[in-house]
Amino acid sequence: MSVLMLAVCMGFYYWFCRLRFGYTFSSMLLQPVVIGVFVGLLTGNMPLAMKIGAGLQLVYLGVTSTPGGNVPSDPALAGCIAIPLGVMSNMTPEVAIALAIPFGVLGVFVDQLRRSTNAVWVHMADRYAEKADTRGILRAAFLYPAIAGLIIRFPIVFAIDFFGVSAVEKLITILPQWLMHSFELMGGILPALGFAITLSVIGKKSLIPFFITGFFAVMYLKLDTMAVAIFATCIALLLGLFQLKEEAI
Amino acid sequence: MGENTKVKKLNKKDITKSMWIYYAGAELSNSYERLQSLVFCASMTPVLKKLYDTDEELSAALKRHLVFFNTEGIFGAIIQGIAISMEEQKANGENVTDEAITGIKTGLMGPLAGMGDAIVWAAIMPIIISIFLPFASNGSALGGIMPLILYPAITIAIAYWLIHNGYTLGKKSVVSLLHGGKMKSIIFTANVIGLTMMGALSASYVTISTPLKLGFSSGTQIVVQDILNTVAPGLLPLAAVFIIYFYLRKKGPYYNRILLTVVAVSVITSLLGIL
Repeated sequence: MSVLMLAVCMGFYYWFCRLRFGYTFSSMLLQPVVIGVFVGLLTGNMPLAMKIGAGLQLVYLGVTSTPGGNVPSDPALAGCIAIPLGVMSNMTPEVAIALAIPFGVLGVFVDQLRRSTNAVWVHMADRYAEKADTRGILRAAFLYPAIAGLIIRFPIVFAIDFFGVSAVEKLITILPQWLMHSFELMGGILPALGFAITLSVIGKKSLIPFFITGFFAVMYLKLDTMAVAIFATCIALLLGLFQLKEEAI
Repeated sequence: MGENTKVKKLNKKDITKSMWIYYAGAELSNSYERLQSLVFCASMTPVLKKLYDTDEELSAALKRHLVFFNTEGIFGAIIQGIAISMEEQKANGENVTDEAITGIKTGLMGPLAGMGDAIVWAAIMPIIISIFLPFASNGSALGGIMPLILYPAITIAIAYWLIHNGYTLGKKSVVSLLHGGKMKSIIFTANVIGLTMMGALSASYVTISTPLKLGFSSGTQIVVQDILNTVAPGLLPLAAVFIIYFYLRKKGPYYNRILLTVVAVSVITSLLGIL
């Protein structure tokens, strides 16, 4: 697929996933692992797209679970730029992740712009309500924000993806060794942010021993994730059972 | 209200339709000014159109639901169910005031947002993503496809159950939800699974090790990483997670500041050859 087509597709994808059409559906659509599937299908390089997606996902794992719907950092903008650029110029996942970080920050401002413009539609809806125009209210809730979103979001991703591929290819060849190594380090440390955020969102200090249990179950016992999920579920259910018994007595 | 007026009754389909509108647009038209008020009103339109015949009544009802509203979009469905049942009573001539409807909505949106955030966003979402993350790391599309199917399917099922419960049981449904020990133990179970999974993933995906070697004049060398490993494997990754965690707890969610710090630390330690 040509860079032009790829940039167009990614621009539309970013618009659509950030449109937030379908509450939990869209919030999954804007996760890097899912963007990875889309980029993999477009470029034909599914393995690399998924590996970059997985790496980015770790950085942003906890971000979407922040209460209140405010976006503290935008995994979708980071993913829609870093995954296609990474695949097209054959980067290692670590370098692609480092590339993504600034765009994740940029995405916050884009979202503030969207929410500010959305205030216009609610005033419009006030007038429709006055006239008992239910179709007008549905338009104000769905159609107008969608059009505004296209104008705000499509150009950013399109332009960066379209012009970025050749620029990034040149950039990579001139990067010094110590900088490449620091990208690898970032790729290793940044997932800690995703886990720390999730940890703080779940919030209960008293439950931290479970985190440590999971950590050393992998370190010492070399369990894989599915095994940990199964054991954790059983332990949680058993603890719930004992708790209920105590209350009953 | 005349004696001969027919009783206005909503069917299951009307209520489900309302759920779908709210689900589709809960975040779509979200604005800083009134957050989800617009989509809540939009989701009530099929119901209100069926309940109120005159334009004045319909207009008043629409305006009633354009007031400030914001909650978690899946657990919010129960508020919708209750609001719908109150509107139905009102349309059938029962004494339900505007204040009662708005009061119930604003009174419930806080507690249900807390519950929804804890279950839908802090538990179900990271657990589903992390179970399939190893597929993604190995380059398989399943790592993205499975979460994309499972997360909406599970959460829509919850919303469906809640809105119909809210409608049939009315206010009672929330009392049993908020005060029953059941919800507490569900959140507890989800948190335990979530935290254990986060620990397991941290062990697999946070990779930090030091190449430092301490040389002595006698010629012996001590590899720092070997010493750390004999204490416990994975000390550096564990430390990284907890340093960031305590920073977040103390200072608040300054994600971008932390991101930049990590970038700076990586560049500096790379130059100095510490990591």
